[in-house]
Amino acid sequence: MSFPNESGRLPSAHDSPGGVDLDRVWTGVAAEVWRRQPGRLERAAARLLRSPGLARALLTTPSLLLPWLISTVVVFGVGALVNLGPGESLVWLIAPAVAAVGIAFAYGPGIDPAWELSSSCAVPDRMVLLTRAVTVFALNAALGLLASVASGAAAALTFGWLLPMTAVCALALAVAVAARSASAGAGAGVAAWVITVLVGQTASGHLTTSVTNAYAYLPYLVAAACCAAIVSYATRPQRGLQ
Amino acid sequence: MNVTLADIHRSFGKNNAVDGVDLQLGAGVFGLLGPNGAGKTSLLRMLATVLPPSGGEIRLLERDPRRPAARREIRRRLGYLPQNLGYYPSFTVVEFIEYFALLKEMPSAAVPRAVAAAVERVDLGAKAKAKLRTLSGGMLRRVGIAQAIVNDPELLLLDEPTAGLDPEQRVQFRSLMRSLGEGATVVVSTHLVEDVGAACSEVALMSAGKIVFRGTPDELTARGEGHGIGDAPLERGYSAVLSAARS
Repeated sequence: MSFPNESGRLPSAHDSPGGVDLDRVWTGVAAEVWRRQPGRLERAAARLLRSPGLARALLTTPSLLLPWLISTVVVFGVGALVNLGPGESLVWLIAPAVAAVGIAFAYGPGIDPAWELSSSCAVPDRMVLLTRAVTVFALNAALGLLASVASGAAAALTFGWLLPMTAVCALALAVAVAARSASAGAGAGVAAWVITVLVGQTASGHLTTSVTNAYAYLPYLVAAACCAAIVSYATRPQRGLQ
Repeated sequence: MNVTLADIHRSFGKNNAVDGVDLQLGAGVFGLLGPNGAGKTSLLRMLATVLPPSGGEIRLLERDPRRPAARREIRRRLGYLPQNLGYYPSFTVVEFIEYFALLKEMPSAAVPRAVAAAVERVDLGAKAKAKLRTLSGGMLRRVGIAQAIVNDPELLLLDEPTAGLDPEQRVQFRSLMRSLGEGATVVVSTHLVEDVGAACSEVALMSAGKIVFRGTPDELTARGEGHGIGDAPLERGYSAVLSAARS
């Protein structure tokens, strides 16, 4: 650490020839040498979100990092290759679970080692949560749709899994935030979806009933709304964290 | 006054972590001493706006942190080093400090120079591009200090800042604190009585959630005259005040 003198400047600054403030010059040089150049994506996100901090927070989302994205693409790719029956794709069943895990690992004290520090910063937690959750959901939905279309599944049901995916993602996020554990959120989301699928199969004999049964859509919406309310409560400003 | 606390309480269940604290602080280095569980960290977290009080009034930088817009403005001008600094192992020193400069909503154009200046102030220039996972505990603490001062804060809160620093670094850090305290309010929570004696213009001693002493380090030293416990005069003052508070 530098020893500041009475004027708060380093001694060498005063000793430099010609009255040049060498520390100031060095700081300027160091700033240029160490400067991190934001990528095209980060610059675009900063413009869109009107906040370089929020853009940086978005691009540090664990479930948006390249290894995670590659894994997601591979899982959806496998799903697109496997048909459960005529016109029925495995994508329908795996999409909610994959997205739920991604959402659970997108935000929260369970995955952010510098959570306490982030909570003391000006960029609001809820904006980080919202931005990350929406982006992870949208990305998984887009990949799921691509896989669903590529699988040649019945066109009418291409979007059938979006509602259960919304509900399962909301549940995963609610549990991850409330329990302060990304693993708990991911586990809850996947477990809830597996149970839903198995109950649907037991009742109707078809594995894809949980996606194709139109009567289930309203309960999915209600579940998603309830979980969103829990997330909103658990992330309310000025909460006690201890 | 940069900090005004009036009858602040904070409880966790039945445990009163902070129990009726009144405090007014202007510019300078203010030391917060006390044994484990005295309520220092809870008080600091409330000042950092990450923990709301259960009761009482807080005003920071002439603003009410309960109001979202005011809280955001306070946080732009705040520097905070938590007791347990979490970090991202894959970030470099510069990336980590830059990340928090951006989260503090510093103007983008000012960030690179501010980051470089903060890195230099904690003497980590040689490690600027090193991944955090490769740094020692003392170096990580200095990274934490750098992120806290990167925005040239008006209110700087440091929880155990010298933990993990070697003696030479601690001496240098005290000098840095004195320099920062010339224009800002610096609140330092520590177990190390000698840090307070060397760097703080004023000190408070907490016990069981209450402030049981407030004065200058010299006044605390004077309280220890004739008290046997402690190797240094300031430690004897610390022990004497604590003994009196507990009895």
